[in-house]
Amino acid sequence: MSVTEHDLTLPLTEDAVRALRVGDFVYLSGEIFATAGLPTHDRLLGCLDGVEPLPFDMHGGALFHLGSLNQEAEDGSLEILYMNPTTSTRFNGHMPRLIPGLGLRATGGKGGLGAPSAQAMAKAGCVYLSFLGGGAEILTAAIRKVTGIGWPEMISHYRIARIEVERLGPLTVGIDAHGNSIYDQTARHARDRRSALLAEMREARDA
Amino acid sequence: MAITDDMIFEATKQLYSRSLRKVPEDAKAALAAAMQTETNETARRTLELQLKSAELAERKDRFVCSDSGVPVYFVKIGSKAELACDFKASIRAGYEELVETIEPPLLKHVTNPLTLERGYHGKDMPIVTYDFESGVDYVEMTCSPKALGSGRWAALELFTFPSLEEIETYVLDVAIKAGAQHCPPVVMGVGIGGTFDHCAGLAKKQTLRPIGEINPDPTLAAMEDRLTRAVNGLGFGPMGTGGDTTVLGVHIDFSSGHGFTPVAVCFNCWINRRTRVRIWGDGRMEWGE
Repeated sequence: MSVTEHDLTLPLTEDAVRALRVGDFVYLSGEIFATAGLPTHDRLLGCLDGVEPLPFDMHGGALFHLGSLNQEAEDGSLEILYMNPTTSTRFNGHMPRLIPGLGLRATGGKGGLGAPSAQAMAKAGCVYLSFLGGGAEILTAAIRKVTGIGWPEMISHYRIARIEVERLGPLTVGIDAHGNSIYDQTARHARDRRSALLAEMREARDA
Repeated sequence: MAITDDMIFEATKQLYSRSLRKVPEDAKAALAAAMQTETNETARRTLELQLKSAELAERKDRFVCSDSGVPVYFVKIGSKAELACDFKASIRAGYEELVETIEPPLLKHVTNPLTLERGYHGKDMPIVTYDFESGVDYVEMTCSPKALGSGRWAALELFTFPSLEEIETYVLDVAIKAGAQHCPPVVMGVGIGGTFDHCAGLAKKQTLRPIGEINPDPTLAAMEDRLTRAVNGLGFGPMGTGGDTTVLGVHIDFSSGHGFTPVAVCFNCWINRRTRVRIWGDGRMEWGE
């Protein structure tokens, strides 16, 4: 079976998002937002509650769970020395509200998100993209420019970096905008296989 | 000639830095071998991407992953090694020098669990385990930095007089619970027996064993084979997008104990961070994985 590839430009339209299917490969060009911070996600929820303003308007945007070493270069410009995904399931409690609240068209990281997030994504027209964990050099090479750092008072990987990327990827569609989740499918498959696998081990032990 | 503080300091610094930049050769060979047997197209492409990432990081002398984890060292002291060093002080000093000077800089991952404040330093950092080895004239140090991705899914359960079936069922259930959160394909380390603390140590040390090495104990070798097939049969695949390759190996060790039997399971993610060095009193340092 061959894999479908998409070369997409950000910001994504709802149609472009709805055209993606679980298992597709995606390359992204344009502007993304990146953070790996749990406190950052708490603050973003606070923004939705009016506690403080959002550092950026992310409506229609792509917010990824990526940690980065970002800093001000000697000439005063912003730079990222490396970036790489973090575990998204840590944000299972945040994303069902952040996806519609921020108006996201794409989110992602590694490890996927739970069913409530998948439902929020189907409703809003948003996808989850899986990044290669341990892919720092491949992902960092796609950075063209760092165009903003939100909440600079936080430690590096907690800040929200606004980054211009070119052909960031390949990323795998882990959850599509139709309620399909590769993570739910694989977890269900594993649970279904459990008794057969235990029986195979028993047979091998008794052989 | 004796092993000095300077040598331990230097080894501590370099081990950590090297472990962040280089995927061990046996792990790369196992990923390449998995590409040949993997039947899922997406999984094959992910394996290919993992090998490309490893190659790029190594060639450009950069980090494979942005999460440098917490520093974890194992020190084995040869009974014939001549020592003129304060291990604890030199390892701490080496680590502190490293975090101030390493390029590119590390992200702040060392976390105070009571306040959740993060930095480079903290109580009990680096985490070091000491052991002895009879009949050798060197000190061997291994560094295996541990990050959240795979660190968080380790588990331990205490059984009483368990059958092999109960043990294997537990290991499989830990693998099901971890799913693909630990950046597969992983190496699973399993400890059986001893006491609570000893068993966890056995499991952890098994993640440092070279991939593909046959267990000299035939009972454990057979158990490793059964569990490797079973965990791969779960179908999580590389990075959890489905496939036949979830583990590169299940490595098991055991210890005698009482009738209460701990079983510990832990994971090392696909980049398999582990770097080793042997240090002799004449200043020789032999680097390995």
